[in-house]
Amino acid sequence: MTRLTFAIILAALCLNAQAADPAAGKKKAEAVCAACHGIDGNKPSAPDQPVLAGQYKDYLVQALTDYKVGRRQNPIMKGFADSLSKKDIEDVAEWFSTQKTTRLHDQR
Amino acid sequence: MSRPILHALLAAALACASQVALAQAKKKPAAEKATQAPEVKPIGVNPAPTTENFHAQCIGCHGIPGYKTAFPIVYHVPKIAGQNPDYIVAALKAYKSGARSHPSMRGIAASLSEEEMKKLADYYGEPAKP
Repeated sequence: MTRLTFAIILAALCLNAQAADPAAGKKKAEAVCAACHGIDGNKPSAPDQPVLAGQYKDYLVQALTDYKVGRRQNPIMKGFADSLSKKDIEDVAEWFSTQKTTRLHDQR
Repeated sequence: MSRPILHALLAAALACASQVALAQAKKKPAAEKATQAPEVKPIGVNPAPTTENFHAQCIGCHGIPGYKTAFPIVYHVPKIAGQNPDYIVAALKAYKSGARSHPSMRGIAASLSEEEMKKLADYYGEPAKP
C-alpha cells in the first residue's frame, strides 16, 4: 500500500515537472501580457517595462509568483498575476523564456 | 700615537662615515618607496566604487551566465544586459524602497544613489530601437 502511494506521488511529481505548456502559455500571453510586453515579450509598450523574451524561465515564475503573493509590490502586475493560476504562470514563463530575443543577453 | 688609540679613532671615524652613508641610503629608497608603494587593501573590505569599478557589485552575479541565487529561494538571476534602462532604474528603486524583497538586491540598491542607478542602467541596458 505504501509502495503504491509512493508510486502515485512520484508519478504526480513527474507529470507536474513536465506540466509547462508553451502553446497554452502563448494563448494566455496573448490575452494577459501582450498588450504591454508584446506577444513574444520583445516589445514593452513603455520604457520602464521589462523585455521578457529570452529571460530565464525560473526567474519569470519567481517574479509572477512574487507579484501574486505580494512579495513584489506593483499594483498593475498584482492584478494580472492574480488572474493567473500556478499552471498559467508556468506556461507563460515557458512561452516567454523560449522566445528569441533581440535584446536580452547574459553578459555586458 | 699609540696603536690602540689610533685604532679606536679609526673605528670611530669609520662608524661615523658608515652612519652617514646608511642614513643617506635610507633616505633615498624611502622617498622612492613612498611613491611606488603598492596600495594595501584591507581584507574583507570592498573598495569604494570608482569610475572604473562602479559595476563591481553587479558582476559577481549578473556577469556570470547561468548564475543562480543562493538565498532565500534558488532561481536564475535575471539577464539584465540589453534590458530597458528605465526598467533597471525602476527595479533598483523598488528594491531600495522595499517594494521588492530580495535581500541581496535590497542591500545593494540601498547603497546606490539615483545617479548611480542611472549610470548602471545606461551601462547594462539598451534603449528600444525605434
